[in-house]
Amino acid sequence: MLHGASAMLGASVLADSAVEHYRGSFDNPGMYTPLVVSAVTMAAGIDGASGQWLPRRMRDGMYALSGAVGAIGVGFHTYNVLRRPGGLNWLNAFYAAPIGAPAALSLAGAIGLAADEIAETSHPDRLKLFGIPVGRALSAFTALGLMGTVSEAGLMHFRGSFQNPFMWLPVSLPPIAAALTAKAAIEPAGERDGRPMTRSWLWLTSAMGIAGVGFHAFGVSRAMGGWRNWSQNVVDGPPLPAPPSFSALAIAALAALRLRDLEDA
Amino acid sequence: MSDFEASTPLARDGRAPNVFREGGWTPMRQYSETEEVDFAIVGTGAGGGTLAARLAEKGFSVVAFDAGPFFRPLEDFASDEESQSKLYWLDERIVDGADPLVMGGNNSGKCVGGSTVHFAMVSLRFRPEHFKARTLLGYGADWPVDWREMWGYYDQVERALSISGPLSYPWGPARPAYPYRPHPMNACAQAMAVGCEHMGMKWAPMPLATVSAPRGESPPCVQRGFCRFGCSTNAKQSALVVWIPRALKAGAEVRDLAMVGRVELGSGGQVTGLHYHREGAWRFQKAKNVVVAGYAIETPRLLLNSACPDAPDGLANSSGLVGKYLMTQPNQGVFGRTKEESRWYKGPPILCVSEHWNYCDDKNFPGGYTLMSQGPMPQEWVNIQVGARKLWGSDLRHAMLDYNHMVGMKVVGEGLPSVHNSVTLADEVDQYGLRIPRITYSWTEGDKALIAHSMDQMQGCLEGANATDIFRQEQDTNHLNGTARMGDDPRTSVVNPDGRTWDHPNLWVCDGSTFPTTGGVNPSLTIQAMALRTADRIEALAARGEL
Repeated sequence: MLHGASAMLGASVLADSAVEHYRGSFDNPGMYTPLVVSAVTMAAGIDGASGQWLPRRMRDGMYALSGAVGAIGVGFHTYNVLRRPGGLNWLNAFYAAPIGAPAALSLAGAIGLAADEIAETSHPDRLKLFGIPVGRALSAFTALGLMGTVSEAGLMHFRGSFQNPFMWLPVSLPPIAAALTAKAAIEPAGERDGRPMTRSWLWLTSAMGIAGVGFHAFGVSRAMGGWRNWSQNVVDGPPLPAPPSFSALAIAALAALRLRDLEDA
Repeated sequence: MSDFEASTPLARDGRAPNVFREGGWTPMRQYSETEEVDFAIVGTGAGGGTLAARLAEKGFSVVAFDAGPFFRPLEDFASDEESQSKLYWLDERIVDGADPLVMGGNNSGKCVGGSTVHFAMVSLRFRPEHFKARTLLGYGADWPVDWREMWGYYDQVERALSISGPLSYPWGPARPAYPYRPHPMNACAQAMAVGCEHMGMKWAPMPLATVSAPRGESPPCVQRGFCRFGCSTNAKQSALVVWIPRALKAGAEVRDLAMVGRVELGSGGQVTGLHYHREGAWRFQKAKNVVVAGYAIETPRLLLNSACPDAPDGLANSSGLVGKYLMTQPNQGVFGRTKEESRWYKGPPILCVSEHWNYCDDKNFPGGYTLMSQGPMPQEWVNIQVGARKLWGSDLRHAMLDYNHMVGMKVVGEGLPSVHNSVTLADEVDQYGLRIPRITYSWTEGDKALIAHSMDQMQGCLEGANATDIFRQEQDTNHLNGTARMGDDPRTSVVNPDGRTWDHPNLWVCDGSTFPTTGGVNPSLTIQAMALRTADRIEALAARGEL
């Protein structure tokens, strides 16, 4: 399930960075990097979730690469914002390279690495990451990831003036899911009710991520020429591949909750 | 559109063009010519279009006339500068004075929606002190309205047009965040921003009347860049796509290709209706009120052409000020070359603004001005090369090869009111048999000081942005104002603060010609704000039985 979430996040990054960097005419050759690396991450995720044909060390190498490239990408995007007139201001936050976006690659890599750690052990309930029980660590991590994605959707929807009321959904549903997941990360052991509330919100967030593709497709139809002019409007309109990153993180959080249940047991 | 089509009105038979659909129609209420409508409005631009919508929405019967055609932008507007000159008022005029104005694209429009159909969408507010320039700053004239009231109407217009602008505006009193987010700044605007920082001036993304996200039937702006030649996507929030559809929906009638030639004065100083030319014949529409909204040339021309035995010097002209105090705005530019490709024609032509010299009073000239980035289309650019630089032949060709590397700035300045600048009637007549306007204009010494100052500032900005081969376009003007100025005193003004003429209680003016001063910003937002105010005042007066 975690490998699957990694693959899904990788796919989302691949499609999104391909469209956005094409829009930026691959002005800097480095802009090809996330396409290659997210494809690698996706492959690792698919391999991990299905046959596991690759040796674990190779798969982990792929995930680690993803984690590192995501971090470097954040650096590049920050540089792109800061070198523009005005530096860190609203205009550049709206239209320069999105600072937070590459972090999705790091998330995908980290989730994948955790997945392999968990698969290796026969006692996932005793496994620790950075000295923290893995269920708690992953819950906290995915909650943070969700909030990061909320920030990006919030910024972009603010740029779009929340012109459609449904644009409020990704800034209202996922924060609740993230808060509940964060609560699962820090609350004392012994909660054995299965956290139905948290799970429901996460499933809702996951479904919203898929529905978001439909909303964004509608957004494309409202641009000049609509879908008849898809070659420009898919590039320039609301990004079709972006919303499923909510789904990927929500699924990772659901997997983390399972580990939390084991730890509680 | 062929000549034949352009001579055939489209708004008739109970329907008008639907601007949002190719070949589409929208139902339109119609009034008979013998029915005395509440308001006959001459002109459908920023003043007339806005007022028609608001008066109709308040329940008045309204017929609005425009001399030009009713376009559907989606099918009628080409990506072609030459073809789009059909949007301008290019009828014959006589220009004279020491600095004769160039009439056309920069200062006129002849179609339903008026010049807002091809304006650069710059939507700025007057500095509060500019409404009391005489009292507070010692030049020009005072407006007979309070700035706080006007700023309230600015709020309304900005919401009605969903202005895309910055979240916080660097100059003047606090204002609400603009309804839509600013557009991205192109390379030319970024160069201006760098230059402003070099010169110690603040800058901001320009507040523009083109949407950065979908709004109703308007798609978001696609940065096509032909804004000043007619937006073919309807992202631009012109009177044609904002106010005219609202007017039609509220029951107003729009008559396109209807040239109003004379307002009829009845007994007791009241006007009774207007004579207009449509489909090859002169017609008469009865009206309880007539509003003239033809802008600073056609408004005084109509009032003067309506002279009759009871008003031998023209309507509303007992003060002798109809046609006087014509103002324009300096529109000089400075341009330079950058090493990196700039492709400055991308996006709306003006994307960066600095109002530094509107709000800073430490200067050696009267009035204020706004600086803005500038991205001319190719033909405009050729005209600047030929006109301002006198290039021709291989020099011209060589200069044009640098088109993708150019950056530039323009000023929109506060031209001072002078009683010597005027619109009068010439003896020649036009195709309707109406006497054509003579437009007399000369810069004042104050204007010349402002222009020189602004060009030095622009040059400093471009140098600060590392532009090379910098040159100046020393002669250019744009918006017009004045010629039917408003005031508190019937002896020194043509209309009162409501736009009502002092001489004829049911004759009104609603356009830029009522401006006592031009302010240092583009006038369209202020014209629309005044139209909203006039509509509210008319409603209040009607409720009190004082109409």
